[in-house]
Amino acid sequence: MSQFLASIGFGLVTASILALAAVGFTLQFGVTNVLNLAYGGVMTAAGFVAYAVAQAGGGLALSLAAGAVFGGAASVVLNRVVLSPFIRRGIGVFGMIVVAISVSVMIDNGLLSFIGPSFFSLPFSQGRSFHLGSMIFTTMELVIIGLSVVAMLALHALLRYTRIGKAMRATAADAVLARGCGVATGRVIDLAWLISGVLCGLAGVTLVLNLATFDTTTGTSFLVPIIAAAVLGGVGQPYGAMLGALVVGLASQISTLVIQPEYNTAVAFVILIIVLLVRPTGILSEIAASRELTA
Amino acid sequence: MARGRRRVTIGAAAIAMLAAACASGGGGGNVASHQVLTFDVAIAFTGPDAPFGPETMAGCLPAVRLINAAGGILGHQVRCSSTNTQGDPADAVPAIEKMLATTSGVVGVLGPSSDEASAIVPILNAASIPMVVITGQPSFDKSTYQYFWRTLPADDQLGYAMAAWGKLKGYTKVAAFFGNSVGAQSQVPGLVNGYKRFGLTISPNLAIAYDQSSYRSEIEQILSAHPQAIFQELDPQTGATFMSELKNLESKPIPIVGDSVTLEPSWIHAVGGGIGAATLANECVALQPYAPPAGPGWQAYDSALLASASQMKNAQQYTSDPYAMDPYDGTVIMALAMLQAHSVKTSVFNSHILDVTQARPGAVVVHTFAQGKAALAAGHQITYIGAMGPVDFNSYHNSTGGFGAVSCATNQTTPVGVISAAQVKAAQG
Repeated sequence: MSQFLASIGFGLVTASILALAAVGFTLQFGVTNVLNLAYGGVMTAAGFVAYAVAQAGGGLALSLAAGAVFGGAASVVLNRVVLSPFIRRGIGVFGMIVVAISVSVMIDNGLLSFIGPSFFSLPFSQGRSFHLGSMIFTTMELVIIGLSVVAMLALHALLRYTRIGKAMRATAADAVLARGCGVATGRVIDLAWLISGVLCGLAGVTLVLNLATFDTTTGTSFLVPIIAAAVLGGVGQPYGAMLGALVVGLASQISTLVIQPEYNTAVAFVILIIVLLVRPTGILSEIAASRELTA
Repeated sequence: MARGRRRVTIGAAAIAMLAAACASGGGGGNVASHQVLTFDVAIAFTGPDAPFGPETMAGCLPAVRLINAAGGILGHQVRCSSTNTQGDPADAVPAIEKMLATTSGVVGVLGPSSDEASAIVPILNAASIPMVVITGQPSFDKSTYQYFWRTLPADDQLGYAMAAWGKLKGYTKVAAFFGNSVGAQSQVPGLVNGYKRFGLTISPNLAIAYDQSSYRSEIEQILSAHPQAIFQELDPQTGATFMSELKNLESKPIPIVGDSVTLEPSWIHAVGGGIGAATLANECVALQPYAPPAGPGWQAYDSALLASASQMKNAQQYTSDPYAMDPYDGTVIMALAMLQAHSVKTSVFNSHILDVTQARPGAVVVHTFAQGKAALAAGHQITYIGAMGPVDFNSYHNSTGGFGAVSCATNQTTPVGVISAAQVKAAQG
């Protein structure tokens, strides 16, 4: 029983990182319908920005902020410079996926050629351990959980209580209708990429904080559980992604108590398949698969 | 008409070139008189396993130096060439085929490693090229490939060596934490069977997926079993995450036992960066094939290695490196087999590899190519004992030696303990 409770605690840490990443991933998809498979590459790059700031003497908060700012800026630039021109030329969903994969490969290889095939560690201690019943958390893990909770609450407040949040939800529901109702959808889309990128950057930095070391492929190798969490919650649904992250994070840790740990990722996908069989649009999704890309 | 004749001329030239190519390489190592003989280092020079290339070449170059200094083989000088497999079968197959078609006088190959052995060994065998491989894959334990030779222990032998090490250290209860790659998992049966044979306990025995964001639940399982040591093979990033989280969850150090992967500079850099190099060196040992850096065979290797320093980077690092010493011995053994067979034709001298390595009554023990050449010229049978010590091939062309345990730190070669071949055999039962 104590191992089960401990696994829940460990799962919460994984879920917190996943939530930051999956909510950012799905928020942008919900507004634009672009499957941004370069997301993992941007996460990695944000981790390296945090590393550079830390090496220059920056503290934890500054490193997190730098990663977040980089993630936001990089995502906006990625959309404006690379993806939007394709959308304006009428590229289809499949074509855009190929473009996104290409960008992802270019980012990973660009990082590899610029940084090299080595391993890096952020110079921040995990801090002392705290026992909450059978659960054990380091100071750094509590920071990661806290950061994720704050980010989720802030996003909830933004979407629920602000005009721009309502505009984002309107654009996500029907961009053409929203534009007809006077919503500046272009700015909304930029903002969606920006917020998605900030969350992507935060996820990248928290991921490399949680890992002892990272390299140029770390973010990309984390993309599969991110997509699993987003799809599980319902593609395009930020609240669904939070729930999906929790399920995937907990399942990956708790499952190791009953099966060989090498299959823990498969467990998350088994859950995903079962959920999609019962509810094909995911736990919370109302998004239709037939929507067009929005630039 | 002229076009037609030109076609015939080009066709004849092409056939001649093809025949020459077949004769020089792919056809089984027929070599023109006085042609330079080539030992090809066929292994990764780029990619994740890029260090394998220079390491293997560091064995070939001193061997070639000594062979040429002793007058060569049957009137032939020798050289080393390289084929970059990139550590990937998809790249290795065309690279090897190109080497066989275009490199003249290939009489032996050093490599491949586990990265590409399954794809490359059949090709080299079909081309009748003797190879001294670096792979530890257990699938070659009962190899029927005629031209396959392995003087390094297989990965499953390493599992038994780990069990022998655990017994030696008095670890009655240990945990196993291995990645789910073929290479890592091939050690587990030996470890489990060896521990069972000694009446000791492994709990838990976990196979894990690489590069996960956390292994805390697995570590909690391990810690709840209170093991005296943890045996592992993990890639650098996984190893760093595992060791870092282990350190966070358990203040009392638990000895970690790994393999040669644990001694790769990338592993030490990654894990040392995560938990501190000093902590790593104190808490971790790695088992690897071992031959004491002493004796006349090793001294000859070491002198020739240092004399070849201008041909490689930091030759000193290979002084006690079994993965450089092994290809050195492999090159000398193949060269002596040619002398014994009075032929540089691969299909002729291949079987004589056994003749120059087997310990037999009346055979003269030699430690260098020059000694072997002199003894053979005097009409003696020889037994070569080189840098790695005695070689004793079984009917599957495998030879198993002992293992050394060294501290997990850069360029560590002095063992903190040794496991003999007899101890490994005891674990096997």
